[in-house]
Amino acid sequence: MLWKERNDMGNDLIPLIVLKEGEEGIVHMVSGGLGLIGRLASLGITSGMRVKVVRNIGGPLIITTNGTRIAIGRGQAQKIMIRPLAAVKVQADIA
Amino acid sequence: MTAGKDLLVALAGQPNVGKSTVFNLLTGLSQHVGNWPGKTVEKKEGFYSANGKRIKIVDLPGSYSLTAYSEEEKIARDFIINERPDAVVLMANASALERSLYLLAELLLLKAPVIVALNMMDVAEQQGMRIDARLLEQYLGVPVISMVASKNRGTKALISEILLLSEGKKEYLPSLADVSEDHKEIFLELSDILGQYISPAYLTKWIITKIMEGDPDVTAKMSGTVPQDSWNKVQSLLRKHEDSLLAVVKGRYDWIEGAVRASLSEFKRGQILLTDRLDHVLTRPIFGIPILLGVLALVFSLTYGMGLPLQELLEALMNSFAGWVEPLLERSFWLRGIIIDGLLAGAGTVLTFLPVLFFFFAAMAFLEDVGYMARAAFVMDRFMHVIGLHGKSFLPFCLGFGCNVPAVMGARILESGRIRFLTIFLTPFVPCTAKLAVVTLIAAAIFGKNALIMLWVLVAGNILILGLSGFIASKLLFKRQHMPFIMELPFYHRPNPRTIGIIVWKRITAFIKKAGTIIVIFSVVLWLFSHIPGGNIEDSVLGSLGRFIEPIGHPIGLDWKMIVALLASITAKENSIAALGVLYGVGDEGIRGVLPGVMGSASALSFLVILMLFVPCIATLVVMKQEMGGWRWFLSSFFFMLVLSYLSGMAAYRFAVMVGL
Repeated sequence: MLWKERNDMGNDLIPLIVLKEGEEGIVHMVSGGLGLIGRLASLGITSGMRVKVVRNIGGPLIITTNGTRIAIGRGQAQKIMIRPLAAVKVQADIA
Repeated sequence: MTAGKDLLVALAGQPNVGKSTVFNLLTGLSQHVGNWPGKTVEKKEGFYSANGKRIKIVDLPGSYSLTAYSEEEKIARDFIINERPDAVVLMANASALERSLYLLAELLLLKAPVIVALNMMDVAEQQGMRIDARLLEQYLGVPVISMVASKNRGTKALISEILLLSEGKKEYLPSLADVSEDHKEIFLELSDILGQYISPAYLTKWIITKIMEGDPDVTAKMSGTVPQDSWNKVQSLLRKHEDSLLAVVKGRYDWIEGAVRASLSEFKRGQILLTDRLDHVLTRPIFGIPILLGVLALVFSLTYGMGLPLQELLEALMNSFAGWVEPLLERSFWLRGIIIDGLLAGAGTVLTFLPVLFFFFAAMAFLEDVGYMARAAFVMDRFMHVIGLHGKSFLPFCLGFGCNVPAVMGARILESGRIRFLTIFLTPFVPCTAKLAVVTLIAAAIFGKNALIMLWVLVAGNILILGLSGFIASKLLFKRQHMPFIMELPFYHRPNPRTIGIIVWKRITAFIKKAGTIIVIFSVVLWLFSHIPGGNIEDSVLGSLGRFIEPIGHPIGLDWKMIVALLASITAKENSIAALGVLYGVGDEGIRGVLPGVMGSASALSFLVILMLFVPCIATLVVMKQEMGGWRWFLSSFFFMLVLSYLSGMAAYRFAVMVGL
């Protein structure tokens, strides 16, 4: 599986679902049907877009992109491949 | 009527951009709500008059883009293509500019003149963003109006812009998004091949873009008109460039980036938003679920706390009204019966539920409007998954506790057909106010101080059965099918009384219209059947029917009067009380006094269990049939409830007899 290599190579592609809360990444591609790709694109989740995971503790995820918050099922989050941004902990969430 | 001269304006926009706020502001109560022909998607139209001109405003379904994958999006784009509105107003959310412009990029290819209404400027400002509408207008080449619809700012400017544009007094040269650089060549090749076959109703660019997106509708349409050898060339080009959709998307976002860079300046980045703080707590299951339960408990106690006294007041009014008209009708037995015992006792009782419904719907609309219901859907998602649904089904279920009619209609927010069907299928298991009223009354009469426990057991049982049915149905029907869950969580914002008022108004009128008409007719018919031909119930049509089917009542411990009362509950749940009252000849003694003498505890338990699980009232049935479209789902749902309630009643009866209740 792809995400196992993550620790050795910080810049590899991983599915969005692997990101922890507060982590960010750049979308590389969305796999899946044209419907899913188009739907996500219209919400701002498409190649080159920066996304941040706000909530990821089982159940659906919450991500933000360009000022939009989106709840997204785990199955769909599995299909979004991202390049994680260096883990600069942005102090956006309150502890 | 000057219908021919009306300007036609379509209102387009993504969800959560304040589109309905603007629609409500412009049209007020002149709006007409119906369905798009042949679809279960709501169509709203209304009028605005300005300078002696009437503008007909059509609110298009909210959609994130204009693909052919959802009914809403297809309706929006077909309307613009076929009806050729004089102007399309694109509602944009200034605090999420990129995403709003995505829909604009699609819209501009449909040939209709577009005005961008940049709403929620105040929200953007609070989040540290400033958008220069004039610079945006220059970049896009279409008029841009700044608005704060929640404070009624900008509507005048919007209207005058619509008038200017539709009169051709304004230069209109939109800039259009291209496909990304590396796919320009294939775009041109496709245009060369297909250009001559494209009808002038469409922009060539739109058709080619849609072909590259793999849009099934446009592809099917073009493959029918283009000669075979040319179409083969198109196919092989597309096969060679399988990533064409991405090129289209990328092109749009490049165009959007240009627009944003030209017009947006940010001055406070990384600000902690109210939404962040609230979501930090509310979307975490540990806090979110207890809070949700607390909120719902509050809603119910407020609803009943304020609604019940008013309901009792209405009941008293109704009774004194009945007492006042009764002497006038004394001369005719039939007229008196139809009006007093049919109309007033049946339909009148239903109307007394209005206060309870009003408070309940107002509370729900408030929670929806401030953005809380989306979070409730989010935390409930994991539970709803178990029963084959997803979080969005939670809202219709909540509404169901008020009345099942708006709940069934509320299932429209689910975009996937199967989930929508399953949600509607399960909705009748949510006990509505009317069912709860009947159960409360009978339980109080029979079980005395244990009534409250009984009520809770019955409600919990219903919810359990809802869950189990959903679990089994989804396992049987959906198997491994994936159900995508993608839902925007809007920012929390201050409640808008106007929006809430219109939602409540719509749900209440739907209840009054649907329930009112149908229940009025059935109350009268029921009364007639219980008195024809002889004027007394024992020998009436209903009485004979009841005695005829009495044998099926034995295993469940019901006599024919209780069976008739169950049948009467199909007209409206409250009517079962009225029926029991009439059949047992309650008279002045009151139902609470009479029931314990004629109804055993075991039979009463069986009766209540069946009532809770029985087929819903006729108003709900009508809406279910309408929203489910075909007969197959509807009938299977109908018979499922019939069989399930019978078996459960039998089980409850046997159990009660066994433990000697």
